[in-house]
Amino acid sequence: MSQSTLRNANHSGSSLKTRLGSWSAVALRAAQGWLHALDQILRGETTRLSALREQSLQIPLAGLSLLILALALCYGFCMGMYPGCRIEGPSGLQWLACMLKIPALFLLTLCVTFPSLYVVNALVGSRLHLLAVLQLLVAALAVNLAVLASAGPIVAFFSFSTTNSDFMCLLNVLVFAVSGLLGMAFLLQTLHRLSTIPNSLARCPGGRREPMPSGPIEPGETSEAGTSPAMSLAWEHDRWLSDPKGPRPAISPAEAVVIESEEEEPCALDPLEGRVLGRHVKTVFCCWTVIFSVVGAQMAWVLRPYFGNADPNLPFVWFGPRTSNFFEGVLTALHQLLR
Amino acid sequence: MLQTLSLVDGVLRCQPWMTQTAVAGRTRALAVCVFAFSFLYGMAMGSYGGIGSDRVWQLLYSGLKVPFLLLLTFLIGLPNFFVLNTLFGLRRDFRESLRALVAAQAGVAIVLASCVPLTLFWYASFGDYSAAVLFNGLIFAVASFTGQHLLRGFYRPLILRNPRHGPLLWTWLGLYVFIGIQMGWIMRPFIGSPNAPVEFFRTGGDWENAYMVVVRLICDALRR
Repeated sequence: MSQSTLRNANHSGSSLKTRLGSWSAVALRAAQGWLHALDQILRGETTRLSALREQSLQIPLAGLSLLILALALCYGFCMGMYPGCRIEGPSGLQWLACMLKIPALFLLTLCVTFPSLYVVNALVGSRLHLLAVLQLLVAALAVNLAVLASAGPIVAFFSFSTTNSDFMCLLNVLVFAVSGLLGMAFLLQTLHRLSTIPNSLARCPGGRREPMPSGPIEPGETSEAGTSPAMSLAWEHDRWLSDPKGPRPAISPAEAVVIESEEEEPCALDPLEGRVLGRHVKTVFCCWTVIFSVVGAQMAWVLRPYFGNADPNLPFVWFGPRTSNFFEGVLTALHQLLR
Repeated sequence: MLQTLSLVDGVLRCQPWMTQTAVAGRTRALAVCVFAFSFLYGMAMGSYGGIGSDRVWQLLYSGLKVPFLLLLTFLIGLPNFFVLNTLFGLRRDFRESLRALVAAQAGVAIVLASCVPLTLFWYASFGDYSAAVLFNGLIFAVASFTGQHLLRGFYRPLILRNPRHGPLLWTWLGLYVFIGIQMGWIMRPFIGSPNAPVEFFRTGGDWENAYMVVVRLICDALRR
């Protein structure tokens, strides 16, 4: 009896171990896939014109979101080193709070702004689908967070070796600003690229692109489906938006030459040669930037303190009082630093 | 020995084969060069208080701290530089860029090591501690400018291939200087005042920020 029980226990133990092993293998493979997706975004492979023409913006939404949260946690860990390792009254709780607040900052900002961003996008007349907007924003955030997390070691080093909280505050603002600007540059260029391919904007991402009907627009060679790269590139987005059912404009031979070279290494931040930003792209981008930046900055202010109290006798608090705002706070820190 | 000399010569002459062709073990050899030459200069730097009794420890401490200063500054800035290279479409050239960075680091270490006799001569000629600090600061400045010059030389083929390498190079230099100044500040003392006890890191004084000290000095000067 006892032998059979032991055998059963051994059997269940080994099966649990096998299951755990297979789960961890699956998790590892998934994480590798997400990292690969992030790498492709950073290298500009995902937003290559040919890739966008083929399958719109293809990113693993859930996986990339998890990766974004992990990157934010990493940066939060580096940033939290300042209260966690300071000589006078190091606070492990404050370190933990800082670590958790950075992912919360990005997640909450996205949640709060996403509905209005989509509405603005639709109001302006862009044909980006709801899911496409989310994918685009998550991809831009991935770029933002990748740059932010890569600056983590620098911030950790200064957190570890600095005693001045105003300096640390301004350094973090600077790092956030630089990474945010790069994220915005990515967003603008990807929005622009998507706008040059009307079909990919019109449909839900995920599926294959439907063939365009062939018309009088062909400047040169045409593939069987009637979708030459030249045709896609030379499309006038604004005109398409104003009269989508009307005849498609013929393109000049000069425009048709604008075909990306597949041999060149792509760059996610490169503007398209020979193409100016469309009016709608500019409007959508400006509105998104203003909404996201203002809400993000104020969210950062609401989630403070990140460094806690310099006085170790004061108790730990998760959130500070609801006074003032982000911009006033930065100006005060700058004033304190130069005083 | 001959190989090391050829490597040193290649670095100082900005030979394109140093970075353009991947040869197994060359990057490692360059890293060893960085460590060995900067260790040598660190030892010379720490010899200000003499080598009697416990002062010999200062030689060892300074000898270890200078390679660590270069190495840690390099490593802390590297992840950000890698992501920026990827984002600006320069990932394919990153290995070559990395070889150029390591070669430039080796260049800094070689210049530092070449100043070892000068430093020792200075110490033998002048006894003033402040003058010794200033002289070492000057040597570091010269080595840094030379390193920057070498790096631009190694980067020339890369910039010709893709002009985006230019701004990235300046970004790296900015990052390196920004981190390096603070790293140098917290790793004090390198020379070791003869009146102070021998120590690896300066105790007693807090780990203040180098930039804050500069800002305060400027503000104090303006107020006077």
